Formats: sequence, C-alpha cells, structure tokens
Amino acid sequence: MRLPARPGERLDRNREVTFSLYGKPVRAFEGDTFGSALYASGQRIFSRSFKYHRPRGLLCCSGSCANCMMTVDGVPNVRICAEPVREGAVVRPQNVWGSLEHDVLVATDKLAGPFTPVGFYYRTMIRPRWAWPLYEKFLRNVAGLGKLDKQAGRANRYDIEHRRAEVLVVGGGRAGREAARKHAAAGRQVVLVDEGFVDPLEGVDVISPGRALGIWEGGLVPVDAGRVLYRFRAGKIVVATGTIEQPLVFPGNDLVGVMLPDGVRRLIEDWGIKPAEQAVVVTVDEAGREAAAALEEAGVQLNGVYDLRRERAREIVARGRGGVLRSVEIDGRKISCDLLVMSGGRQPAYSLLAQVGARIEYDPERGVFIPTDIPDGIEAVGSVAGEGLDGAVPAASYNGASGKGKCFVCVCEDVTDKDLKRAIGEGFDSIELAKRYTTVTMGPCQGRLCHVPSIRLYARENEKDEATIGTTTARPPWAPVTLGLLAGRPHEPAQRTSIHHRHKELGARMMWTGTWRRPHSYGDPEGEAKSVHDSVGVIDVSTLGKMIVRGSDAAEFLERLYPNRFGDMKPMRIRYGVLNSDAGRIMDDGTIARLDDETFYVTTTSTGAGAVLEWFEWWNAVWGMDVEIVNVTGALAAVNVAGPRARAVMRSLTGIDLSNEGLSYLDARDAQVAGVPSLILRIGFVGELGYELHFPSPYGEHVWNAILQAGEDFGIRPFGLEPQRILRLEKMHILIGQDTDSESNVLEANMPWIAKLDKDDFVGKWSLEHVQERGLQDLLVGFEMEDGKVPLEGAQVVLEGTRPIGRITSSRWSPELRKAIGMAWVPAEVAEEGKSFLVTVDGGFERATVRLRPFFDPEGERLRS
Amino acid sequence: MSDLAFLSPGRASAEAMWRSPLERALQGAPPAVSDLSLTGKVEIRGKLPKSVKGGELVRITPNRGLVLCDFTKTVELLEKLSKDLFAIDVSASLAGLSVRGEAVMRRITDLDLDALPAAGAVSHVQAIVTRDGDSFALWFAQEYSDYLAEVVIDAHKGLHR
Repeated sequence: MRLPARPGERLDRNREVTFSLYGKPVRAFEGDTFGSALYASGQRIFSRSFKYHRPRGLLCCSGSCANCMMTVDGVPNVRICAEPVREGAVVRPQNVWGSLEHDVLVATDKLAGPFTPVGFYYRTMIRPRWAWPLYEKFLRNVAGLGKLDKQAGRANRYDIEHRRAEVLVVGGGRAGREAARKHAAAGRQVVLVDEGFVDPLEGVDVISPGRALGIWEGGLVPVDAGRVLYRFRAGKIVVATGTIEQPLVFPGNDLVGVMLPDGVRRLIEDWGIKPAEQAVVVTVDEAGREAAAALEEAGVQLNGVYDLRRERAREIVARGRGGVLRSVEIDGRKISCDLLVMSGGRQPAYSLLAQVGARIEYDPERGVFIPTDIPDGIEAVGSVAGEGLDGAVPAASYNGASGKGKCFVCVCEDVTDKDLKRAIGEGFDSIELAKRYTTVTMGPCQGRLCHVPSIRLYARENEKDEATIGTTTARPPWAPVTLGLLAGRPHEPAQRTSIHHRHKELGARMMWTGTWRRPHSYGDPEGEAKSVHDSVGVIDVSTLGKMIVRGSDAAEFLERLYPNRFGDMKPMRIRYGVLNSDAGRIMDDGTIARLDDETFYVTTTSTGAGAVLEWFEWWNAVWGMDVEIVNVTGALAAVNVAGPRARAVMRSLTGIDLSNEGLSYLDARDAQVAGVPSLILRIGFVGELGYELHFPSPYGEHVWNAILQAGEDFGIRPFGLEPQRILRLEKMHILIGQDTDSESNVLEANMPWIAKLDKDDFVGKWSLEHVQERGLQDLLVGFEMEDGKVPLEGAQVVLEGTRPIGRITSSRWSPELRKAIGMAWVPAEVAEEGKSFLVTVDGGFERATVRLRPFFDPEGERLRS
Repeated sequence: MSDLAFLSPGRASAEAMWRSPLERALQGAPPAVSDLSLTGKVEIRGKLPKSVKGGELVRITPNRGLVLCDFTKTVELLEKLSKDLFAIDVSASLAGLSVRGEAVMRRITDLDLDALPAAGAVSHVQAIVTRDGDSFALWFAQEYSDYLAEVVIDAHKGLHR
C-alpha cells in the first residue's frame, strides 16, 4: 500500500512506468525499483530458496541478499530490490517449478531433509553407480539460480572504460561524502562511487550506482556501473563502505515478512510504502528502534519492541503458514504480526580492505570485526573503520535463541545452525573448512549477512572466542558481476592482409591462421592445386613474417642464430633456414635473402613472426652486435605466382630478365612490378616454377589485380591455404608446428643438410651434436597409402600387432598424383625407402609405404625450370 | 648498400593505385574518426636529434623515434636522415587513425591520456598515440586496420546511442 508523498522519497509520482510479472502488468513510478513496485502491488514472495525452495521475501532492500533475485529481460539473478524499474521490462521468477506461490520443489523442504544433510552430495545419490547420470540430470535441472537462454547471443551491450582519479572514494554515505568534499576542496580530482543512488556533490564526479568490485595492485579499482565497467586507476583510494546490517539467528528467521531495519526504512522513506499492518521489532542496537519509529509514523501497529541489550530472550521463534509470517513467540508469548524486524547489529563492510591486505581484528567490546594495518595509498573512513559503532550487545556474541524449526545462518545457501553443528561434529572445525564443506558464505551475498553469524556459532560450539575463530579470506569480486560486463566488447584482434577484401570478392572461404585471416580456398581446393601444376596460380603470402637484419655484424649474427651457413652467401641469393631453440629443437623456418654485404631479408612462418622477432632481439641484446633488426611484416605484401606459365605471366608485369639464367632458382632481384618497387624472390613452396613478390602493402590490391589480369589468358587461378597444403605435401616440405613439435630437431626431421656442425658454434649446436652421437631414434618420413584411403592427421602408426610407434602429421589426397600421401614420425628402423607400416584408419588398420623423396618431381626439375 | 626500395611506397609509379588499409573500414564512419595513413613515416635509431626539419619527431625510446612527414617527401627525408642515423621507411608498415574525443579513447585504451605521446595497447594492439588538444592520432601495424577501425567506430557508437 502506498503512503502519501513524503519529502525525500525517491519517487517521481508524475511519471508512471509499467512492467510485467507473469505477463501481467505492474504499475510503478519512476524512482521505484522492481522490488519496491512489486511490494507496493501486494507481492510478498519474491523467490524460492536455493535448496529447500522455501518462500523468501524482501529482507535487506539494498541488493545484499539473494531473497529477491529474479530474471529481468532475460538476465538472471537480478536483485530487483535495487534494480530501477524501466518501461516494458519483463520480470520472471526463477528457481521455481510452478509459481512463486506454489512451487512443487518445496517438497524438498518437507520431505527430503534426511536425504539432503550438509555435504549430501558427497554421500547420497552415488549408489547404484549406474543411476548417477539420472541423478546428475535431475540435480542439474533443480540446482543453480536462474537460467540462461543459450541461443540468445549477446543480449546486452557492455562497455569497458578506463578512467583515472587522483582520489577515488568508495561509498557515498556521510563519511565518504565528507572525505570527497575535503579532497575536492584541496584541489584534487575526485571521483566518488556508491552502489546505491546518491545525490550529486559539487566538485566531485559521482558515479551511482557504481559498485567497486575489488582493489588490485597499482590502485586498480573496477567499478560495475551496470552496462559500463569503469576501470579506475587511482592515486589514493578512500574506502567508506560503511557497515552491513546483520540478521539474528532463530527458528523461522527466513519467513516471508522477516526483514532487516534498513529494508523497512527504505520501503517507507524511499518508496512511500506501508510495509505491513502489524509489526514486532527485535533488536540489539538503535537501528531497530529507529525502524520502530518509522513504522509507527507510517501507521503500522507496533505490537512489541524487544531490545535484547536490556533483556535477553531465551527463545525466539517466528511462525507462519505457507512460509509467510503470522506471529512470533518470544519466551512463550505469542504475538501476531505480519512483519518482524530483526536487527543483529552492524558489521563493517571491510571486504575491499581485506582484499588489499588489511588485517581484520575482532573488537570484543563492540562485537565487530575492524580492519587495521591498512596499506599505503588507501584510507578507511567512517563506520567501516569502526567509527561511531556502539557496542551491540552486552556480551560479545548473541546466542541464537533455541526453538523448533529451521534456523538459518545462511539464507542464500539454505545452511542452518544444525548443518554447521554437524560439520563441526564431523571434524570440519575451522571456519575455512566450514565454508568449503557447508557452503556457508559462498552464496550470492558472499558472507555479508552470514559470515559473522557463522563465526559466532563456531565460537560458541567450539568454546572459543570470535577473535580465535577469525574470518575467511576475502576475495574479489566484492559483489557478483556479470561475465558480459567483465568481457566488455567482443574485441578479437584480427590481422588482415592488404588483399583481404579482394579474396572475399573472389569468393574465398576465410579461415584463421593464428590471428591472421587467410583464404582457405576459393571454393575448389583440388581444382586450385591442379591449376598450379597445369598452368599457373597465385597465392597471397603477405602473412609471412619479414625482417630486415642490417649491420656490419649481420652475417655473423645469423651464423650464430641458425644451424645453416650464411656468411658465404653472395648478395641477391637466397637460402632456406631452420631456426633452432637453444635446446636444439626446431623453432621456425623461412628464407634468408642476402641483399648486400650488410643486409639480409629474413622471412618466417606467419604465426611465428612475433616469437622470431623477440628471439632475434633477445640474442642481439645478449651479444651486443652491430645489428639492427626491423620488423617489416605489415609493411610488405607478398604474393607467389607459381606454375609452368608463371614466367609468361611475369613477363607482362616487369621488365627484368626472367630467363632461367637471368633469374635462377634461389636468386633475388629488385624490380618494378606493375609499376611498384618490389623484391622478387625466385623460390617456391609448391613444387613448380615460382616467383614470390614482396612490395609495399598499400599496393597489394593493385599488384594482385595486375597479376590476375596478366594471367587471364593462361587460366590463372588464385589458390588458398588448402591447395597450398596439398602442393607442399607433394614436395614433402614440412610445416612447423604440424609436422614438428617441441621435441623435433633438424636431424631427425630428415634435414641433416641444414645443420653445419663444423661451424664454431650456433644456438642449439650442443644438442644436435648429442643427437648425432646417440643416434637417430624417430624420423620424419613421407608415405603413400596402398589403398588410397587418407588417414586422419594425428592417426597412429602401429607396429605389426598393436603397439603404437608413431603418428601421422600430415595427410592429403593428391589430385595430381592420384594417391593418398602424407608424412609421419616413425622409428628409425622403419624409416627406410620401401618399408611399410600400419596406420589406424576408420577404426581399422591400413598399410602405408615409406617414401623418403618428394612424391612430385623429386629431382626438382620443374622448380628449377 | 641496398636502398631497400621495395619498402618505399613513395617510389611507385603514378599509375600504381595506392590504397589505404583503412579505406574500406572507414566507409560510413562518423566525422570524429578519420584516416591518417597517407603520411610518411620513417623510423630512426641512434642518437636522436632534438627535432627533424620537415617532419614531426615522436620519441619512442631514448634511441628510437618515429618521424612523421608529408608522404611525398618521405624518400627525400629518408635519404637525409640516413646520413647520420639508421633510418628505414615504415610508411607502409603503419596505418594512422585520427580520433576526436577523450571519451572514445577511454573506451579503447588505458594509456594515460594526459601523458602522451606514448606507446601501449589500444584494444590489445600495440600503438603509438599522440595528442593535439581533443584529437588523438593512433599509429599501429596496418594489418590491424579493419579491426581497430571497427573498434573505434563501435566505441563511438556506444557513447552516442
């Protein structure tokens, strides 16, 4: 029922908002929360508890507990007591089978008690074992809070914003505002955040609602502001998070109609709602008395105010029907009421300070945990630091009153005092063990309402004090936060070549190679591969890593890094190089072209570019040589024109001598190609005559188009990665990371000619010498399948019988050779031309024959033509 | 010594069609976001001068700098700088994006916008960021052009819904 308008209320009664629950419209005012509006409309049951499905009503009205969690516009677990209304919102209950008023699963509360003691999932439903999948399916359907629509995709937009603040004040209550004012007056740039709604403050940037999630190194404080995550870097952090009201522990303390004082006060003062007809107040501090005064003013009949500081009750029992409060019995006296206000005192909200390293100490005089030894750069002000907190009870800990019925310590997780006592009896006698075994404090409130009551119970049962029991470790986030907010926008860096859009226009199917987008094929991988053999094809290889290595020590630098020899290379010649780690394992491969005495042009694999650059720079720093290394990967586009008609195509694009004598295999040349300055490398990866053109990337499309035009008469086709993989396999060219792994070395990868062990030294030499000494064990070989079936990459090589002895690294059907071919690691004794082995294929075994020379053009005549 | 001509887009013939890596990505972009890629860029290493005539020097490290200049003057400037320093034409390496508005920048980087120029991550991509009033210039590896343009336009959209 709404009270007349009152000063200070948060409502704008001139602006109505309508949303729906169960599809039925609910009227609200701007300034309402969904929770307050539903309460004003008469709704009293807001959720069903996690395990027992007991009805739950509003408790705190501050977003701390889980009692009002509902799904709003598809987003589950929204604390509607703190969520502002919005027009047209669709609100649905969650965790119910049926409705909030009639939930079938309340049978768990009535009947399943013996089957669901604390830690029951370690003990029940494990026999018979065959039934476990049924139990699991059932439990998964009834457990959890809220449901996600898996098909919904990204329903909301979440942004992350990086901010800086000289002073960040967390908490907009009296102490926080005072601190913010003081710092702003001193000329500092101040930001104040509060998880609720606070008024603006002159000279201070106020973010409300804004919930600080934690404090990390470097003054990093992420603030959840709903759809924006503000990542603050603050010079100074002032924590003014105040205190949290605590419940009392007694039978029936979870009934609908049992509330905390601030919750009641907010209903009356913020949202103009008369919360009940008849109320009883049981309190250990002034907050309860203040709530009693507010209730009287709102016209609620007060049937009793019990101040436990003056008179300790032996027995408090709340009674209800259907989970809704009807009366409370105090020391045998039954009092009718539909609202019971319980105040168990206030505890400093110290979690942010604990996370950042403050010590939490118990003050027995006041019955509170206070943060001390706060690190530099952080300040605690107000009641979180213990200011203004009176002693709540004469004795340090208030005993939860006895009586029949469930007595909840943790309403979020449905953990009762009996559960905690049982845990102690089973040996889980520390608060950390209690948390893990019973899940107390692990629910949505994260201990706000249950941490101290659980500590008090443990102290009592173990006959120790709260200081000895201590607290559990505080960890971020301070409050639940959606994964969507933490993720922010879906930023997935993708690298694209300057020819990317042309590939898409030509119908390429794109794929990821590391963070590059590359054409898998243009729709016909086998046809594209065949076209390279029959006439000419062109492939975009701009993704290759590219580096300029220049300096008087450049040759020596490369000699030390690679097992190959480079010092004797003539200018404008190219060599294939395999880079080793310092353990002698294959790291990467590529080509090295010598441009002049002091300049080399090095290429790497597409996904290895970053690592190779780092490797080069690391060793340059170690050796201190006269070498400059420049990453030009993105500066240059690169395309490879390959096939028997490649020379004919190139003749119309450049004026240099392209004859076999003018530009031989492994030669490099500077030239203008289609009017663009280029470096032409006569190399190939696909077994045919090939020219690899490297030129400034802004001319990528221009050169690509010029090549396609020049090759039109020869039936030129672009080809992608898949046909390239077929072609390179025909030549037995390895793919680093596919045909090799972190243990592979050049000797066993069948490239002994790479390693010049007569060099003085090179990175990883010691390891290759060791391999040579101990003998080769497993070798990389080619194979062809006798029956034409293509084994899966990763399939096992099997000894006659059943023992696996190796694996397939690459396999394809070759349209040119009309054979299934591949590469595999096999033991040295099998690695001989013509020997055979078995391969797992489709659940059976097929025979393969070892080949040690390239399948296609083993003499390399076409390559060198 | 090789003049590394194949690195210099400025040496192409007039008929060759230069295409900015941002051209397509910025189609339909708000006026607050524009393309700076057609800028000459020369990386220099060694004992850096105080300033460079004909260019704007951005110091990246004590021994490494980026000189921004008129695209048509790049080759000339490169030759001049090569006399005393290690200099290399990186015009084609880097794309340049102009972003107006601190609010947009705050959505894409946690660099201190009051302490520019600086190098650091912009939405997971390493960039050099400079500032002129409320306008920011981002210089980054050109292969991330489509991605970063999309990020910036999206951030702008998020602020102007």
